[in-house]
Parts: sequence; structure tokens; C-alpha cells
Amino acid sequence: MRPPAPASRPRQPLTVIGGFLGAGKTTLVNHLLAAGERRYAVLVNDFGAINVDAGLIASHDGQTLRLTNGCICCSLGEGFLTTLARVLAEPEGFDHILIEASGVGDPSAIADIALVEPDLVLSAILVVVDAESIASQLRDPRIGGTVLRQVQAADLLILNKCDRLDAAGRAQARAALEALAPRCPVLEAVEARIPADIVTPGLAPARSRFRAASPARHEARFGRILYERSGAFDPDGLRAALNRTPASLLRLKGWVRLGPYATPHLLQMVGRRWTLTPAPETAPPGDGIALVGIACGAVPAGCALADLLDLALLHAPVPRPASSPALPRTITGDTPRCH
Amino acid sequence: MGETTVFEARRIITMDPSCPEATHVAVRDGRILSVGTASDFVGLPLDQRFAEAVILPGFVEGHAHVMEGTLWKYTYVGAGERRDPAGKRVAGLASIDAVIDRLAQAHDADPGDSVLVGWGFDPLHIAGARLTRRDLDRISPDRPIVVFHASLHIIVANSRVLDLAGFTSETAIAGVVKHEDGAPSGELQGIAPRLRLLRALGWTSWTGDLEPADVVRFAGAAQVQGITTIADLHNDLPARTVEIYRAACTPDLPVRIVPALASASCAPEEGVARIAALRAENTERLRFGLVKIIVDGSIQGFTARLGAPGYHNGAPNGLWYVAPDDLKRIVGIYHAAGVQLHIHTNGDEATDAALEAIAAAQEKTPRADHRHTLQHCQMARPEQLARAKDLGLCVNLFSNHLYYWGDVHRDITIGPERVARMNPAASALRMGLPFSIHSDAPVTPLGPLFVAWCAVNRMSSSGAVLGPDERLSIEQALHAITLGAAFTLHMDTQIGSITPGKQADFAVLADDPLTTPPEALKDIAILATVVGGAVHPTAARA
Repeated sequence: MRPPAPASRPRQPLTVIGGFLGAGKTTLVNHLLAAGERRYAVLVNDFGAINVDAGLIASHDGQTLRLTNGCICCSLGEGFLTTLARVLAEPEGFDHILIEASGVGDPSAIADIALVEPDLVLSAILVVVDAESIASQLRDPRIGGTVLRQVQAADLLILNKCDRLDAAGRAQARAALEALAPRCPVLEAVEARIPADIVTPGLAPARSRFRAASPARHEARFGRILYERSGAFDPDGLRAALNRTPASLLRLKGWVRLGPYATPHLLQMVGRRWTLTPAPETAPPGDGIALVGIACGAVPAGCALADLLDLALLHAPVPRPASSPALPRTITGDTPRCH
Repeated sequence: MGETTVFEARRIITMDPSCPEATHVAVRDGRILSVGTASDFVGLPLDQRFAEAVILPGFVEGHAHVMEGTLWKYTYVGAGERRDPAGKRVAGLASIDAVIDRLAQAHDADPGDSVLVGWGFDPLHIAGARLTRRDLDRISPDRPIVVFHASLHIIVANSRVLDLAGFTSETAIAGVVKHEDGAPSGELQGIAPRLRLLRALGWTSWTGDLEPADVVRFAGAAQVQGITTIADLHNDLPARTVEIYRAACTPDLPVRIVPALASASCAPEEGVARIAALRAENTERLRFGLVKIIVDGSIQGFTARLGAPGYHNGAPNGLWYVAPDDLKRIVGIYHAAGVQLHIHTNGDEATDAALEAIAAAQEKTPRADHRHTLQHCQMARPEQLARAKDLGLCVNLFSNHLYYWGDVHRDITIGPERVARMNPAASALRMGLPFSIHSDAPVTPLGPLFVAWCAVNRMSSSGAVLGPDERLSIEQALHAITLGAAFTLHMDTQIGSITPGKQADFAVLADDPLTTPPEALKDIAILATVVGGAVHPTAARA
């Protein structure tokens, strides 16, 4: 009865974009669409607010906008579940599915979908916060609880509209968020412009028009991390390490090897959300551990991370036996949430 | 000009203040021609089939959902008796075993491999017993089986469905409820398990796309309760639904249907245009024009937005479905465009937000007689009712809550003081605030006489009287389910009273509600309805 996904079809990464009304969710969607050249499916509340080059539109039936590059953009007008079910039934999968949550919704309710849908893998919950009004929103007895739930659901907080505050104001807003969501990285942004690399799935760097436009500013704010080791991680040790990464770590991805037989896995980590997926047999990566990452600030975060990961290394991996043990499974991080 | 029919009755209760009582009503071309007594109709042939009965204006249900018609294609397993669209009594079930027996009968009657669906399961009224996967597994290990709770927020699935969906003890989301042993209990809630179920069962939408037969069942379920006009008060109205409505709402349909566009389905600017296009093709059986906005959740689900002092048991405050500022924007746009709004508010904080939004809209674009209506408005405080009156609003109160959840509201959700003023119909009346009362079917059973009984007796299912000072008289309650509801739908010039010129829409009752003891009001049999002059006998009285 269940239409099984084709065996070869990989799980599609889902990113949920939450945040209160006016925080900049749609701006972020527009920015990510412009910055990447991937096959996106985007589900948004208000169609009209999405910037699409008219020349790219292949068809438009009122509910779905199809672009010539294979991307689709869906309005949630006919109901969220119906729309998402339709996207998942598309014959070709997408590189990345972006869902814009309602401005009063709890984005973790949507994210739960990716935790039970075999065709999906949760990439991250991004929550956009209006730097200028977050303090008053949290104090507002009517909407404070709603905003708090959103902040606490985040894997990565995007403190938007930072240009409207001075340094002290930004620090204050950041501190408020850090107190509410202690392990969650906070990324400051203007007009929701964040390096697309931080949130786009896959291993290859996204070719980003934005990065090309102003690389210098990025490199000053963000440190690139490279972590290469031979050998393998102890799975429990790695899990513990990934659950304790510094909040300045925004992104980590690459190949790792796990357990006594050094089984290759793909690690994807966005903010505090991570997933380890067993490598497909057809695509054996090199023979060691190779991770790249992005952190706020520079070298210190990279060093702290390397120290943390090194503690999880196994000392002597053994050769894999001829008969393979039980198939490895996807492992996901347990992100603590306060409800 | 067509023929004139003169119906004779034991008594006609007209709801027309200048001629409150009569025994004869003449009907021509579907409309009421004149109202009077035998002496006014001397020499005319009389239609005496209702001579022993009592005629009222056809009942108007101002808040129900077409899903009532959809659900009746499935097996009802609720605790209270309901009447199906054919008029047959379907007994309430007092235990899990009885629920399983009825589902097993449905399975035996039609053993196919399609999904077996039950609806209306109501743990509250069978002493809190929970239905689980293991109970349903007794019916069939192979056939997929799901049961909707009465709230529609919880679904119970059997092991076959859990397998298909891939829910196991390892599934780690809150919406997949677990037994103590860590295995899924079968109870599923929230959107994540729902999408998985949709896909696993090969369904395209949650309760299925609307089908013509659903509209016919909806109309039937209303007709057997004496309803002649009914609102489907929250519908996304995709093109296909509108087509089905138009095809189903022929002059033979025994009710007039008033669908309300769900504001959440599109931006308000688009909604204004959609309503204009839909209204242009209204007929006497199908009338578009309303827009519904849902502001908060439900009180018993702890998702309603309550003002101080909040939930009686200390539960955290509920959820906004629309943020107060956004509500202001949306209301402003529809209000300025002349659209009538029906605004769902359960908690009093949500009601405040709606009042503020209307006040802002009125200040910017003053509009007489807009009749925006607060739907449910269950926790309205006196000053909120006064402000609603001041702003030209109507309220449609959810009196059935007092019976179904009254005990829970008193003991757990809002406490004894606030339950006494819950759904304050008598206060609305005293203040001259136009009001109606409703069932929200299928959430509670369709049946205006039962709604009226709830408003008159304010008795909970355990027998406690909750807020005697807010009780209505029978006459007042009958007004609320006829002219009162017609007013909230802005249809009172056409329906709601037995007045010359209005549609000949009647409910024909076996007994006189004005001489019936209040506690027996709900038990009066509906013999027939008349819609636009056409008689529709209510079928099987089994």
C-alpha cells in the first residue's frame, strides 16, 4: 500500500525555518534560493513574497510554481499536509526541502515529520529572530510563550536585523537568546544574509552568488575548520562529542569512520543538529576521517572542536571481517528541548 | 404563479414578534404567503398532514462542518447516541468491548482490505478508558484499522497500520504515544504521524477529498434534526470542493448550505477576490460569503488562549493560530472590503484580541451592520459581551460544551467560577447582544433541539447544573436556533421566522416545545422539514 521510495533515492534533507511574524523567514528563504544552485522544493505561507525571476517560471497553477531549473515552490493554501504529501510524491527527489513555518507555529512540530518520514532527513530547524524586538516580544504576555517555544526549538538561531542595533544592543539580544537556548549557535545577520554553506546539505560547497559578491566580509567573521585523522571514532564517544560541541560551531560535514571495523558514515551537522548516515557501498570515500566546518570567529573554535573529537578516536581499528556484521543504521543527535 | 398550499398545525410558533402564534400558514412559490388561523383561510383547501404537529421556523445551525457528512460513511463508535443521515438511531457505546464489537461487525459486513475507520471515540464518557492498538488487533491482524477520537485530534491505529507507517518502539517523536513497555500504544497525535499515516495508507488528504455523497449525507444528517439551513464553518474551498458543492446543492437538497472560506487558506487580499467571485454564483441552496478566522485552540485541549488567571490546573497558556497583530491586519482587510467574518475564539484572551481587531477595523472603516460574529466565545466576560455589543458584533455560543465537557471545565480547565459564566447566553440576551447557539458538529452531535436543551438546562453529563443564572427559557433558546442564528448568517431577511415573504422553511415537531418540560426538550421528535415549500419527511424513526 505504501508507495516505497525507489531504493536508490536518497533521503531528502528538510530544513524548517521558524520565527515570529516579521522576523525575516521569507527573506531567508529568498536569500537561500538566490545563493544556491540546487534543486529546491520550497513550501511557504505567502507565495507572493517569494522572489522568482519571471524568466525562470516553467508553470504556475495557483498552488505550485515550477521553475525551469527543477525547483518548485508551493503555497500552503490547500493545507500543509496535503502540500507536503504532494511534494514527496514528486517523481524526482529534491536536493533540499525548505519549509517556512507559520509565524505563530512551533517549528519542531514540523521537524518531527522528518524524524518519521523515511524519505526525509531533518537537516535543521533554523529560527529567525528580530534582534530589535526579541526582548519586547519575550516580555509580551500574549506572545512571549510563542516566541520562547520557537527559540527553544532552534538548532541554529539567526539573529536578524542586526544593523538596527548598536554593538551593545546586539550583545544584549544575543545574551538573551543564549540564556534561553544554551547550546544553540547564534548567527548574526542583516537581511537574513547568512553564508548558504552553513545550511545547504551535501558535501560539495554550494556555488553561491552571494559568496562571490562579498567573500571578504565572510571570511572575517567565520572561521573555516578542517579536521582530518586516520582511524575511526568510537560511536558512543562521537555521539557524546557531537552533543557537546561549542556553540560557536555552525556547520560540520564530511566522512567519518565508526566502530571497530571503521565503517564509513556521512556526518551532517547544522547548528546543534547532527546525523550520521551509513555510506552507500557504491561511494567509498577515502580511508580516513575528513571533516570541514564553519564556526563563528576563528581558530579557537576549531582547536576546541579538534580536542573534543580526538577524545572520541579509537586507537586501533581492526580490519573488517569477510562477512559483514549487521548493517549500520542512521544515528541522529538527541537535541534537548524544553517544552 | 404557482399553487398555494395552506398547512394546518396544532400550533405554529413563528418567531415573528408581531404575530407570534398561528395555526395556519400559506405557502406559494416556495415562500410564505400568509400566516393566521382557520378563520383567515376559510374555503381554501387545507394540507392537514401536520394538523396534530407543531410548526416552527426551520432550524438554523450556524456552526457545523461538512466533515459530519464525510464521517458518516465510517463507523460511529462514540459514547452518546447519534442519529445517522438516514434518521436511524445509532446507539452510544459504553465500553471498549462495545466499540470493538461494532467495528468487528463493520469488518464482517464488508471484509475488504480497505482501511476500516471508526469515529467519535470519546474516552471521557466511558470512564476514561483508552483505546489501544491491542484492542483493535482483536478485530483483524491484517486489515488496517484507525479510529478517530471525538476531538479529531487523536487517532488510534492497529498494529497493521503502525507497521505500514513504520512506527516502532524506536520512533522518537511525542506524537507517537508509547505504552509503558516502550511499544507504541496506537494513539497518534499531531501533524507528523498524520502525514506518515496519509502516505502509508495511500490517502491523499486527511478525511478524504470531499465527495458529492458527503454533501448529501451532511444534508441528511441536518434534515433529520429539523435543520433547514446549515453553515459549513471552515473550508479551504479548493476549486474541486466548490464544484462538488455546486453540483450537490440542487433545489432537491433538503437544506441550504452556507460554507465559510477558511482565512488560513489564502492571503486576505486573495480571499476578498475569491469571496466576490463565489458570491456571484450563489443560489437559494448554496450561499457563499462568509470568511472564518481561527484565533486559538480548544479549552479542553489546553490550546485556548486564556486571560488571567489562566488554566485552573495551572497548565501553560494555549496557542495562537493567528498572532494578535496579524489578526488585526487580516480583519482590517476583510472588514474594509465588506466581507462578514466569523471569528473562532475559545479563551477570553483570544476574544480580547478579536475585539481589539474589530475595534481597530471599525475605527478605520466604520461599517454599520457588519455582523461579524465571535464563534464559540465560550469564556466571554461580561465586559467583553458589552464591548462586543458596542462594536456591532454577534456571538454564537457553544452551549453543548456545558454537557460534554462541563464537569472537566469545572474541575480541571477553568474552575467553578468561570464555568458558571461559560457560554453566557442569558447575559448576551440581557445585554441585547445578538446571539445564537451551536453544536460544532461533528465535534458534538448535530441537533438544534439538543443545543437548546443544553442552553436551557446547563446540565453537565454528570447531572450538575453549571451557572443557573445563565440559563435561557425554552422560548429564548428556540429563538437562538432559528432567527438568532439566521441573524448571525446575515440571512434573517430570508429565513429564521415564519413571516410572509420569507422562505417557507419549517421544522415540524411531534410535540409543543413551549409546553414541554425543559428537561424533555431534546426528546421531541422531528417529523419533517419543509424547505422552500417542499416537504421532506424525516425517514426511519428507529
